[in-house]
Amino acid sequence: MIAVSGLRKCFGHVEAVRDVTFSASDGTVVGLLGHNGAGKTTTLRMLSGLMVPDGGHVSVDGMDVVADPIGAQRAMGLLPDSRGLYPRLTPREHIRYFGELHGMDGRAIESRSAGLLRQLGLEPLADRRVAGFSQGERTKVALARALVHQPRNIVLDEPTNGLDVMSTRAMRALIRSLKQEGCCVVFSSHIMQEVSALCDRIVVIAQGRVVAHGTADELRAQTGEADLEDAFVALSGAGREDLE
Amino acid sequence: MRTVRQIFAVFRKELVDGARDRRSISSLAFSAVIAPLLFGLMFTVAAERRKSADEIRLPVQGAEHAPAFVDWLTQQSGVTIVAAPTDAEQAVATHDEDVVLIIDDQFGRDMARAVPATVKLVSDVTRENARMKVARVRNLVATYSGMTGGLRLLARGVAPGVATAIRVEDVEVSTSQQRLAMQLSILPLLLVIAALTGGMQLAIDSTAGERERGSLEPLLLNPVSRQALAAGKWLAASAFGCGAVVFSMVLTVTVMRRVPWHDLGIRFRVSDTELMTLLLLILPLALFLSALVMFASTFARSFKEAQTYLGMLMLVPMLPGIVSTIYPLAGRPWLAPVPVLGQYALAADVLGGKPPHVVFYILAAASVLLCAGILVGLTARLLGREAIVFGR
Repeated sequence: MIAVSGLRKCFGHVEAVRDVTFSASDGTVVGLLGHNGAGKTTTLRMLSGLMVPDGGHVSVDGMDVVADPIGAQRAMGLLPDSRGLYPRLTPREHIRYFGELHGMDGRAIESRSAGLLRQLGLEPLADRRVAGFSQGERTKVALARALVHQPRNIVLDEPTNGLDVMSTRAMRALIRSLKQEGCCVVFSSHIMQEVSALCDRIVVIAQGRVVAHGTADELRAQTGEADLEDAFVALSGAGREDLE
Repeated sequence: MRTVRQIFAVFRKELVDGARDRRSISSLAFSAVIAPLLFGLMFTVAAERRKSADEIRLPVQGAEHAPAFVDWLTQQSGVTIVAAPTDAEQAVATHDEDVVLIIDDQFGRDMARAVPATVKLVSDVTRENARMKVARVRNLVATYSGMTGGLRLLARGVAPGVATAIRVEDVEVSTSQQRLAMQLSILPLLLVIAALTGGMQLAIDSTAGERERGSLEPLLLNPVSRQALAAGKWLAASAFGCGAVVFSMVLTVTVMRRVPWHDLGIRFRVSDTELMTLLLLILPLALFLSALVMFASTFARSFKEAQTYLGMLMLVPMLPGIVSTIYPLAGRPWLAPVPVLGQYALAADVLGGKPPHVVFYILAAASVLLCAGILVGLTARLLGREAIVFGR
């Protein structure tokens, strides 16, 4: 369960996020939809506890992220905007390192990493150094290490960015299976099809604020557009007019 | 307990990562061999030079003008008289000869008349290698001159002492141990450099490198305190720094065992205890220098930027070395709590054969460890800054 209310963040005079409120309950997938620069990544960074909001409240499973970032991080699996890997380590070693940092014991890490490597199709690469991996393979490694501790709350920043069709499908399958397991998944995207195919609820962000909130059908009804993409354009445009 | 395990996880990961990094490994290896190499070279050259002054091949021109003098020279130990090249000055200028003695063709006549006879000593003052040899030849000539002068005075019924108004007696107070310390004074500097450079690449890679690769943000998403992360990284860099110091010391001892001390005119040798003391003195410093490097490179967004900062940081171990040439550090154990400077001061005493009281070592170690702790704490705080975490 992730709950965000009235989130605000300024960088100098720029208000990157001015009023973001949404929540994602267990067993649901929530998509943050917005243009580049709409404030999605900043929102997710505050959600992760690495960036302190100037206002508002973030909680994960009832834990205040600002007050107890470590407790919240224990309950979350995060795929951040930057997915830097260690070029001289193998995928298995990446997973083990993060597992150890989560305080897991060796045997638990081993069985969990075997499962993740299989699920993500990384088995043939498991013991090869990641230097020279493709974008898709790197994203999978980053995802695997983020999920090593079997978090109940999963936050993914543009998870399909730069992935080919096969990898995108694998990612969608993974998100669906996480939902099936009863996890709460929040992910950001600027791709319509993806959001409509996966999400139970869509949060449209424009100019740092939530301009619409609901299921795909509700958004279509709200804007009177039959096509979700048109609805999105209408909604983000509304945010822009608002600014002017 | 959990924190200790996390620190160990970070430590182990950085060590594995560092061991696979060609840059980190080669910097460790280079740090370890630089001291013994330099040291071995320095002593071998010194010994050779000294040997060359003891055993001299002296080219003499116009030996036929002074048979008695040349005979006397030949009888001196280690002196071999050879024929001089035709152009003596040219031969010295082109470094074919270190020194040439030219005996004036009027030498015999002047000697007989008891007026000063002339010999020319051809040498090149800029040639460091030939200096001791030239001094030896000059000394030989002066000895012969004094002897002959004394005999002349005796023949005239005058005591030879009359001609000498003042006699200088050299009283050398430094023990051979201290003379050796002068030669060895470069050892602490070399060890400090090893301590600094041994873990430097690893410290950069685990901070600035982490930022450059974009792996810092994912790392910080783990439920680990910044302090534990900084401590793990620091310990890994320190392990490399200490490794460089230990390797450097072991290799230096190996080299020292082969140094021809006898040829250097030194009776004493540095004992293993003294070398061990030196090692224990420098090791805590490696922990401090690693923390310093780690702190400085956390500010850097990339490897290259870090190396720019650290170029300036390299001065830290050099400066006290320069200071010590104007302001000798030996006999000032109260400098102990000053990082780096204290280590140099204590090392000078250890090598001088006057080891300071054990309390000073403890003081020096405590001081650098405290400073290291502060630097690790500051690094941990930097890791919490949004500008550092997200500023790429």
